[in-house]
Amino acid sequence: MTTAEPGTQAPEGSFSVVTRASQRRERILFIAAGVALLILVLVPLTSLDAAQSAGLPLLADRYWFRIATTILMFVIVAGAWNIIGGLTGYPAFGNVVFFGVGAYTVGTLVTKANLPYALALPAGVLVAAAGAALIGLPLLRLRGHYFAVASLGVAVATGEVINNLQFFGGASGIFMPIIRSDLLFYFLMLGGAVGTVAITWAVLHSRFGFGLIAIREDEAAAAVIGVNTTLYKVAAYMLSAALTGFAGAVYAEWNVFIDQSTAFNLDISIDSILMALIGGIGTLFGPLIGAAVLEYLIQSFAGGGSLAAYTQVGLGVLLTVAVIFLPRGIVDFFGGRSSFSLRYLRRTMRETGV
Amino acid sequence: MAEQVVLGLLLGGIYVALGLGFSLVWGILNIVNLAYGALVMVAAYITWQLSTSFGLDPFVTIPVNLVALFVIGYAIQYLVINRIIRAPFLYTFLITFGLDLVVVNGLLLLFKADFRSVNTYYSGSSLTAGPLVIPYIRLWSLLVALALAGIMWWILNRTRTGDAIQAVGADKDAARLVGINLAHTYGLTFGLGAACAGVAGALIVTYQAITPSAGEPYTLQSFVVVILGGLGRVSATVIGGMLFGLIEVLGQAVPGVGAGYANAIAFGVLVLVLLLRPQGLMGRQTL
Repeated sequence: MTTAEPGTQAPEGSFSVVTRASQRRERILFIAAGVALLILVLVPLTSLDAAQSAGLPLLADRYWFRIATTILMFVIVAGAWNIIGGLTGYPAFGNVVFFGVGAYTVGTLVTKANLPYALALPAGVLVAAAGAALIGLPLLRLRGHYFAVASLGVAVATGEVINNLQFFGGASGIFMPIIRSDLLFYFLMLGGAVGTVAITWAVLHSRFGFGLIAIREDEAAAAVIGVNTTLYKVAAYMLSAALTGFAGAVYAEWNVFIDQSTAFNLDISIDSILMALIGGIGTLFGPLIGAAVLEYLIQSFAGGGSLAAYTQVGLGVLLTVAVIFLPRGIVDFFGGRSSFSLRYLRRTMRETGV
Repeated sequence: MAEQVVLGLLLGGIYVALGLGFSLVWGILNIVNLAYGALVMVAAYITWQLSTSFGLDPFVTIPVNLVALFVIGYAIQYLVINRIIRAPFLYTFLITFGLDLVVVNGLLLLFKADFRSVNTYYSGSSLTAGPLVIPYIRLWSLLVALALAGIMWWILNRTRTGDAIQAVGADKDAARLVGINLAHTYGLTFGLGAACAGVAGALIVTYQAITPSAGEPYTLQSFVVVILGGLGRVSATVIGGMLFGLIEVLGQAVPGVGAGYANAIAFGVLVLVLLLRPQGLMGRQTL
């Protein structure tokens, strides 16, 4: 991907260029994230019997758990995409393949090998990461459109093959033994989301992360200064896959049922890219904010019949407008290098238009 | 076997029509148009509406589709995509995905999710030549697609508009210096690409029932066709389309592999070609 266009590259976030303003912004975001995390840990605890008998108000009903767990799942997959798509600059459009592999590994191990879920879950993560190494070695030699569609193709083809194999339940999918606990899946997804942000932070502040950003900005130059580009790219892809696989592995048991259309649902790939884009590609908190905003909107407007079609039209318009006006995402728009203003919009349009 | 080869080549006609527009927009504008399948469906619904309301033959509706889709394509490029044409490709990719959502769900609101199809009096009849049975519809589709390829070649290589489009594809700054209006030429290019989708849509509705979301596979298949043939030449797309038709028909004829593996076959071929010969079988451009 050529990145010669001024101002429209993957964002120069607060990490490649550390200024006093960017440090202050990062500190504010960290404090906000800490407060949000505290709320996210405490609110669901009000659903415990002990809390209820102590007369605390019920802040988290089953509906709340469903929405919150879904949002956290997307925080994981969007953050995971950000590692390969945002930091490394390889626009993977088929990351859902790792979600599906994680889900199907858990499904197969639990139903066929009678493995307890606690052991199947890490196995799902490992198999997804191994799959990324396998796919990544050939695919990461491609760039731009070619990598994007080849990765998409792998996801579509893998889903279709699994759908055709009776061993994996075929078209009728896999039913998991039910574990009834809203809290368990909520906290697994929350842990995964916190882990994703923490891992992204660690990567951004490491030699590995600088290597990835160097690859994104100019791969040939990165190789010249001594970055082992193949190793770095595959490692980033595996990290991204492991996190996505974790989300899939939790999803399989949480949703009880998996098949091609749920575990290899391409919308998961596309939505996670949208979330990272809307929040801010390549930034630490961008995917988190994008996932929270977008998934909340999607869930709020969810409905059947023609309402669903209107929701999708709205989503399409939102996406189009976001790409045109906020190519650097929400994080940059509110207090990034420039502040919230019409001039910002006009400048963005001038930089990217004809 | 011989029959399957013929069927594959006939099916290839559709892929040629699909690939022409996709290849043009990708080669010149560097846009992978994820809304391409949705535009094919817009055209298919125009044909369906015209033949249901006025009893027009689907092949007669092709000129209407050409004009309508050209106008729609020009408008999409001029009003929307031109705003971000200089942004990295991820953004154009995403904006066309946004357009896809809008168009598909717009069609869903207009036409509902029911399957629609067009039947003609010759729908079931075929030409018999020795052991071969060739459905007329498939044959005419192939001829229309090849005619479209001829027209596209003529426009791109023998007209001033074509020169302008090729100049923009080669070097847009130099093109601007010699007085080419970039915004307009981008619009023309995308409009021509959409017009090809218009023809493909009319052909598809003659043999297949359609729904608003039935266009998605066509986007992916167009991509494979263009990769297979190579970017940047009409002849490459013709070869790529025919070859893809053959691969699809022959691949599904292998015992144990059925129609359920259509996408897996397509993408298996895609990934192989990308890894072994990334410029396509006949392409000039390198990665």
